[in-house]
Amino acid sequence: MKKKLSAIYIAIILSFLFAPIAVLVVFSFNSGASTSVFEGFSFDFHWYAELFKNREILNALKNSLILALTSAAISTVVGTAAAFGIYHMKKKWIKRSVLSATNIPMMNPDIITGISLMFLFVFVGTLLGLQTKLGFWTMLIAHVTFSLPYVILNVLPKFKQMDKSLPEAALDLGCTPLQSFFKVQLPAILPGVFTGMIMAFTMSLDDFVISYFTSGVDFQTLPVLIYSMTKKSVKPTIYALSTLIFIVILIMLLISNREQTSGARLEAKRKREEKRRREAIIRAQKSGKPVKVKKTSGDKGPRRSRSFNFTKIIALVCVLSIIITLCVTLSFFSEKTLVLNVYNWGEYISDGSEDSYDTNREFEIYCKEELGLNVRVNYVTYTSNEDLYAKLSSGAVSYDVIIPSDYMIARLASEGLLAELNFDNIPNYEKNISEDFKGLYYDENNLYSVPYTYGMVGVIYDANRVDPEDTADSSWDLMWNEKYSGQIVQFNNSRDAFGTAFYKLGLDVNTEDRAVWDQGLAELQKQKPLLKKLVMDEIYNMMESGEATIGAYYAGDYLTMLDNQADNVDLQFYYPENTNLFVDAMCVPTCTQNQELAETYINFMLSDDAAIANAEYICYASPHKNVYESDVYAEDMGEDAMAILYPENFDFAQKYDQNCYKDLNVETKAYINELWSKYATDYTEEEGCGSLIAGGSSIAIAIVTVGMAFIVKKKED
Amino acid sequence: MTANPNVKKKDNRSLLAKYAAAPHIVWAVLFIIAPLIFVAYYAFTDASGAFSLLNLAEFFSPAYLKIFLRSVKLALISTVICLLLGYPIAYFISRTKPKTQRLLILLIMLPMWMNFLIRTYAIMVLIQDTGIINSFLGMIGFPQMSLLGTETAVVLGMVYDYLPYMILPIYSVMAKLDYRLVEAASDLGCNGFAVLRKVIIPLSLSGIVSGVTMVLVPSISTFYISQKLGGPDTLLIGDVIEQQYASSNYNMAAALSFVLMLILLVGLAVANKYTDGNEGGMMP
Repeated sequence: MKKKLSAIYIAIILSFLFAPIAVLVVFSFNSGASTSVFEGFSFDFHWYAELFKNREILNALKNSLILALTSAAISTVVGTAAAFGIYHMKKKWIKRSVLSATNIPMMNPDIITGISLMFLFVFVGTLLGLQTKLGFWTMLIAHVTFSLPYVILNVLPKFKQMDKSLPEAALDLGCTPLQSFFKVQLPAILPGVFTGMIMAFTMSLDDFVISYFTSGVDFQTLPVLIYSMTKKSVKPTIYALSTLIFIVILIMLLISNREQTSGARLEAKRKREEKRRREAIIRAQKSGKPVKVKKTSGDKGPRRSRSFNFTKIIALVCVLSIIITLCVTLSFFSEKTLVLNVYNWGEYISDGSEDSYDTNREFEIYCKEELGLNVRVNYVTYTSNEDLYAKLSSGAVSYDVIIPSDYMIARLASEGLLAELNFDNIPNYEKNISEDFKGLYYDENNLYSVPYTYGMVGVIYDANRVDPEDTADSSWDLMWNEKYSGQIVQFNNSRDAFGTAFYKLGLDVNTEDRAVWDQGLAELQKQKPLLKKLVMDEIYNMMESGEATIGAYYAGDYLTMLDNQADNVDLQFYYPENTNLFVDAMCVPTCTQNQELAETYINFMLSDDAAIANAEYICYASPHKNVYESDVYAEDMGEDAMAILYPENFDFAQKYDQNCYKDLNVETKAYINELWSKYATDYTEEEGCGSLIAGGSSIAIAIVTVGMAFIVKKKED
Repeated sequence: MTANPNVKKKDNRSLLAKYAAAPHIVWAVLFIIAPLIFVAYYAFTDASGAFSLLNLAEFFSPAYLKIFLRSVKLALISTVICLLLGYPIAYFISRTKPKTQRLLILLIMLPMWMNFLIRTYAIMVLIQDTGIINSFLGMIGFPQMSLLGTETAVVLGMVYDYLPYMILPIYSVMAKLDYRLVEAASDLGCNGFAVLRKVIIPLSLSGIVSGVTMVLVPSISTFYISQKLGGPDTLLIGDVIEQQYASSNYNMAAALSFVLMLILLVGLAVANKYTDGNEGGMMP
């Protein structure tokens, strides 16, 4: 009975741990493109095929594996040596302080380890005058640093368990210390070394936080890539990848488990046979017959072969990782191909998925065939304009082409971070870009930027659950309508969230008057009790599945949601009178290594084929004349989509001037940050400090109580 | 180097044993200690590099303090839940046959190999109003729960993501536990609860402490889980640090990190003191 209960309990916990993984597996066979609305199984392995066509994901996967293998190998070697040294340390205080320092990365939150390493790398990089301060090497250092404690912690106890007289005996018998280590001690601690290495590998493969802060432009790992997919929805492709990884690991684990158990089984079999043989001998002796017993296969001693297996595996992995490290190093130093570093929003370029145009590959082919150049496009994605700015202004990385939004371009230009473009290399600009998009405020003299896409924010709602009369006036009021309490979602970034309140009240979104911002905050706080959640890319899942009823997002993204909506959801869309307009444009930062090639790339992006493919992929409106006029494009997008993306009788220049976001001065930005954290924390002056002090002291009391409990326990023992 | 020939007690360690830890010590100084000094430096200066305590003081402003207390609250709740769920399972597993033990531990570890961002994303699908959990509740006639965007969802995400980190260290201690002690205790008249309180828990204390550490620290500082599963009222201290970093306010990010780090390290040091130098590795 007891056994049954515990088995049931284990089963419940395991199913809890595996439920989300089951979701991944199921959705990787989704016939639709949504990660929240399941449209039925399709076993044509559609998303798996997509996965193997997606260079970005495969490249990130390769990077993750390289990094995990090398960092695991290095930390295993250094960590095992360290454990050996620490075990032999004479002075207690040195031992203790080394161990405490080692444990810091394990005790410290990842976010702090990440930020602290980033500070160090940028500082040292600046000292050395390096152009690129973050990259493969910094990530490798970071990963080794946080893996080391796990190796040491697994190896050290094995030294303690080892019979102390063994190495001494080896030394007495004439071994050198090195021989004694490899012949006597290493086999004894191998299981610990092996576990340590596996843990280091796992930690490195799964790490997101530390990688996020220490990754540079030329080396992006899978978790960092996934995190950057926040503006556009995550596709089931990633689920397909996870499913594959899951299956591979499951098989590996089962094999290793079998091998271990079969080792144990062999041992048992050997013992059984031994016993049988002895019994046979005894029986034979009793009956007085001549003894004639076959030798058994188990005599070879499986125990030794098993530990030998361990050594072999470790040696193999070490050799492999050393080879990979060498390859990576060589490829870093002897690269004859030119590398073009492009930094863009996640999923913001036609990438060859679903048989679309693979822009970056086409560009490489173009360079090879037309210009005779070996070019490799290194395409990396970022999460937000601010993320881009943080990376660029810290001087941590070097990019050749970046695609920020308008207000960020103004800021980068004013801080001298953008290079003036040589438009002789970009003839397509003059030819193809519509006049509406020239001389806009962020780049009045057309020096720094070439527009890529533009769009508008609108209100999306589920017509099945919203009364027609509430949407009749096409205003922002819908997002403040108490009838839909708990069904509304708002932007999870300060600028856009304040934007909705400002447009609703008819205020200037670029004001630097604090009183006006306070007014915006009050309006947002009024709306807050009605909100379901603050969202960025989560809005796709929530609108598609009917989880949320009303939300504001970009027009092009509404079209994506429309494609994936569940059966009981009927998504509709309108533009309020005043709403945000944005332009994202291609620029070349001053840190570029090859401006001419960057300009060639920009020019290529403006060629008809590339521009149309990108416009279709991103679903945002294009400033490219030939895209708008192209029949193929209009047909592919459909009439409704065209009407939404390119509203009729629309004076872009005038609307843009009135409603775009501009770069605000430092004080205002700081003030908005302050207001936003007030908004997020729900802190109001009236509430006062009373409740906080109460909360703080209760936690303090809790901590003291726990401490006391420990002390009492100690004394009892 | 300055070996004194008059000292009688000879250091009989081999050269290898003496210097084996040297690379690691150099590494630790360069990449563990030095970065923390940088955090302290940025925490005590402002954007122009002048000495300033303003950013540090900001941590104790009501708005940030409230976020911090919320982080502590949610992290403590998830740690306790992880402990309550994880302790029995670690015990049950350690009582099964060795072969089953290995398999079960592999199964517990397996989710850790899947990307945690993706797993968290999948939880969103599970708990949404039209998700699997709610469909199931609806089927058996229970009222539906609107989870996404609440503190409950964040706690659920933390428990899900960090439960293996609680189970593994406790299990590794349990697996080494001498079961004869338990038998002796029951022979001497202890009932089940007394055995647990007087024998099993004290003997597995080091595992509990490492498990609690490994769950508490990441959940107090997480920003992805609260971003994806939380709502307008579940901003955590990790979110704030990440936001400050993303808006290039490095000094503020450093100041918040610095205070958080001090609080955690002091707390953990105290906890560790009472479980003298445990061997709570993740594995048996």
